[in-house]
Amino acid sequence: MGLKPATNPDVEAASIELTIDGRTVTAKDGVSLYDVISSTGKIIPAMCYHYTFDPFGSCGMCLVMQEGKKSPVRSCTAKAAAGMIVRTEGDDLFQARKKAVEKHLSVHPLDCPVCDADGHCELQDMAFQHQVTTLANAKQKLIPEDTRSLVLDFNMNRCIACGECINICKDVQMIDALQFIKKGGFTQVVAKGDTQLACEFCGDCLAVCPVGAITNKFSKYLYKPWQLKKTTTTCNYCGDGCQMQVETKDNEVVRVTSPLSWKNKWGDRSETAQGHGGLCVRGRFGFQFIDSKARLVQPLIRKGAKLAESPWIETIETVVGRLADIKAKYGSSAVAGLITARCSNEELYLFQKLMRAAIGTNQLDSSARYGHLNFVHAVQHALGVGRMTNDSADITKAKAILVVGSNVTETNPVFSLRVKEAIRVYKSQVIVVDSANTNLAKLASHPVLVKPGTEGLFVKGLIKSVIEQDLIDTEVTGKHAQALAALKQAVAGLSLDTVVSATGVSEDQINEAATVFAEAPRSVIICGEGIVRRPNGYQHVLALIDLLWVTGKLGKPGCGINTVTEEANEQGAVDMGTSPEFLPGQVAFDNDDARTKFSKAWSTPLPNKGTGVGFMDILKKCRNGEIKALYLVGENPLGTLPASAEVKAALEKLELLIVQDPFMTETAQIAHVVLPACTFAEKDGTMTSQDGKVQRIRQTMDPIGESLPDWQILSAVGSGLGCVSMEYESSHDIQREIMKVLPGYYNLGQPKKVTVNPDRYLANGYQAGVAARYRAEQKAADGGKRFSLTMGQLLYHSGKLSTQASGLLLIASSTGQLHMNQQDMERVGLKDGDRVRVSSAKGSAVLSAKADLSVLPDSCFYPEHFNNPPVKDLMAVEVDAVTGVPYFKQAAVSVEKA
Amino acid sequence: MSVVTAAKKIWEAALFAEIWSAMKVTFKHMLHKPITFQYPREQRTIPDAHRGALGLLRYDDGKERCVGCDLCEVACPSHCIKVISAEDKSLPLQRYASEFYIDITKCVFCGYCVEACPVNALAMTKMYEFSTHDKRTLLFDKQRLYEIGEKHLEDAKKYLYAHGQEKNDQMYHDYRYFFPQSVKQSTQPPPKHLT
Repeated sequence: MGLKPATNPDVEAASIELTIDGRTVTAKDGVSLYDVISSTGKIIPAMCYHYTFDPFGSCGMCLVMQEGKKSPVRSCTAKAAAGMIVRTEGDDLFQARKKAVEKHLSVHPLDCPVCDADGHCELQDMAFQHQVTTLANAKQKLIPEDTRSLVLDFNMNRCIACGECINICKDVQMIDALQFIKKGGFTQVVAKGDTQLACEFCGDCLAVCPVGAITNKFSKYLYKPWQLKKTTTTCNYCGDGCQMQVETKDNEVVRVTSPLSWKNKWGDRSETAQGHGGLCVRGRFGFQFIDSKARLVQPLIRKGAKLAESPWIETIETVVGRLADIKAKYGSSAVAGLITARCSNEELYLFQKLMRAAIGTNQLDSSARYGHLNFVHAVQHALGVGRMTNDSADITKAKAILVVGSNVTETNPVFSLRVKEAIRVYKSQVIVVDSANTNLAKLASHPVLVKPGTEGLFVKGLIKSVIEQDLIDTEVTGKHAQALAALKQAVAGLSLDTVVSATGVSEDQINEAATVFAEAPRSVIICGEGIVRRPNGYQHVLALIDLLWVTGKLGKPGCGINTVTEEANEQGAVDMGTSPEFLPGQVAFDNDDARTKFSKAWSTPLPNKGTGVGFMDILKKCRNGEIKALYLVGENPLGTLPASAEVKAALEKLELLIVQDPFMTETAQIAHVVLPACTFAEKDGTMTSQDGKVQRIRQTMDPIGESLPDWQILSAVGSGLGCVSMEYESSHDIQREIMKVLPGYYNLGQPKKVTVNPDRYLANGYQAGVAARYRAEQKAADGGKRFSLTMGQLLYHSGKLSTQASGLLLIASSTGQLHMNQQDMERVGLKDGDRVRVSSAKGSAVLSAKADLSVLPDSCFYPEHFNNPPVKDLMAVEVDAVTGVPYFKQAAVSVEKA
Repeated sequence: MSVVTAAKKIWEAALFAEIWSAMKVTFKHMLHKPITFQYPREQRTIPDAHRGALGLLRYDDGKERCVGCDLCEVACPSHCIKVISAEDKSLPLQRYASEFYIDITKCVFCGYCVEACPVNALAMTKMYEFSTHDKRTLLFDKQRLYEIGEKHLEDAKKYLYAHGQEKNDQMYHDYRYFFPQSVKQSTQPPPKHLT
């Protein structure tokens, strides 16, 4: 990283002084002159510059006069040096810049009227600014358009060879999918090797292209920038909480753009440490579900075997009437509810209020249960905080990052850029522990491939290694000698040999990983679905906290433990108390002070202590007839849980099943009442990202058909049930109420730094838990099934929601392909595309095999988004004893040729 | 009143002199050409620069001129134009208007759209008679606009000349901006190492 400020946060770069337009300016040594000039507030035109990567210096616009030089110099590639005297304005510079614009324009087709970038084009702006009216020697490139890519069109006639797309792909995304090639007499941008573009399709190249050379296939020729209504909102796909601009025209979504664009090109590393403002493929190209034809537009009520359309007033009356009947007949414990963590905070709050205040039951849960709730419980228990402990800047600047069981570049691509920047700029050492050869593992300094399901054991091995190598931080652990002794004793029963044989990792690798992690000044842990959402996830997160503690990282600035969430508002679901164990604000439901506070705020007594029922138990109670009415908001247990969970039997026993969803899901098809809800783009509210940023979602368009925002439906049902305090005019009214009960929750996207205090945990009760944690795990007998089938997330999808977005289906559709290791396929005698029968203890399915380099031997992978064929039904459901989290993503299977 | 004036008055009254002086004006008009004309049986000659109904034009080879660039839409002060554009799949890079609407009831005939058009696809004609039994027919769609353009092609061309949009043939060819034609294949062979 030559020209950006010295990037090591531990070393302060020397300060230098130089003169710019007669003013003395102080700057850091080694910075690009362009950065210094732009930091004084002067803006010099530059078309190939963007702060996210190193200066490239191809456009020739950022010219300045340096004293002692005859001709103008390019300020972006010039380093600022002490004593420089620089002039940035003047007629000679204007003429020189004008010449550069003319040079670009002379090979640029003047097809502005039909270009998608018309009105949002830097070359157009520059031509206007520099008053270019005639061109002496204009010629045409006559290059055919490259339409091979699935989402982007490359029109190289318009390209000005600024290289921004290539640079951002290489430096920021670290994908390196684009290259220059000299073809047809001109330098062109093509996909690596001049083939069809096969990359992560994040679209950052599209965002930074200053002209119309790269265009979006889904919105090509559909708009002019000035016709679009731009609304900044928060992405609904994962927990990263990326800001995005949804651009609509006549109540149709035309495209989604990111704050990252060639328009804001000034900044430095302090800004990229928090995020570069880009989006991933899901955010940028997965917007079609919003105005999809498949959306529900009318409330439906079951009449016999059919769902019949019905007006809203009648439907709400029916819902309220039948809920009231069931409550009167069987008591409030016959009603339960589940809500998805893609709803806004206000809706989640309202839902739990509906359940607890209007109906009077504590039988409610959200999809955070099978999301990151294990992590929340563990850090709550140990550290007294309820979310990840670091912000993005901490991860960027960490010296060692331990990524456990998280394919973070696929599940949370924008968050993974923090890890990539840490690798690239801050030279941090990354230990990736996973049972697949993930993309991050390919970039990491210490990729560790473990056998499926042994991530937790590897973590224990790390602790064992830390203790054996005496990497313990004596200063920190000395305060809790008893706890350390208990940990040592617990680990004593575990030998590294068993870890080595079970995980398939060599002892040296374990020892090296432990050394790297323990010796780095700032170490962070990122744990993902591969450990949090697998059996014993809760205990494994506690083991990771032990690792932080014994190496002295707990509570140290820049160190901590983090997780990533799959759904957009999982953190909000926990914070808003949509689980039986928590009230809003993550206070225990049994906490007397909180109970009085909330019963006063809602002016109704709360359900009794100890009546809480979580996700899996709700389904069990439905099955045995204790629950008669189930209210599902955006949840689709029939499509999510395996058949062995007997969801269908449970739901069919219900007297009333209400499904509130934007789409006709499997569960909605057997419901008694279906209420059409809005997507995030049609309502106002807030979302809490995984790192605690509470960010707004804004209404971008009118609701489709007669669908209504969830809060409006919930409010109508609640007030219909006689809960007067549930009448709201807008989502701001709900916000006001949340502000009263949870002062300080709305942090405007700038959460307070978390301070962890493990003292209470280490002093009481630590010894009791630690022994059980390190007891050797009983490996379930696999019954001769040697393959481990994992169901996981693809980069191009998120849950079931993204399967409604036609753009993402174009990139990755349901192909019924089982991803397998090449060697395994040869051993079973399979070729690509052969039919295979996959059988587990729960059933079997016929799929086609596909060789995948990222899959390890003895394991196979199937994307969890697609139920055709229903591979999910091969899974068994295991429920965590402490947290009630169901695990159903991994199974032992046998694979044979069908 | 003197006797003379009184006698004169009686004399004039007897001869109906006032009627004759009035009739003099009438008879004078019988002798020169009428100033009014018998609309709609007689039609007025309209100047070339007259701003009447809008029409869409084609090139001489029958190809649609319009590239669906939406610039007329943005230039229109009364927001009466709506263009929906798309890509012509058979011709790569060729953008065209798949739908084109002008609400002529809202149009103020300012001619800005014609000025904005980069390919001179829009022109105003000498047609100004819009009376109809059904107001809905005044929302001109693409087909109707091309019909108007075809029917009044000569007038439209004259309009463009009169407003300096298109010059005489040679000059016009120099002046007119041609879009880069759609390129189906590379004009130069690919480099050796790729073949």
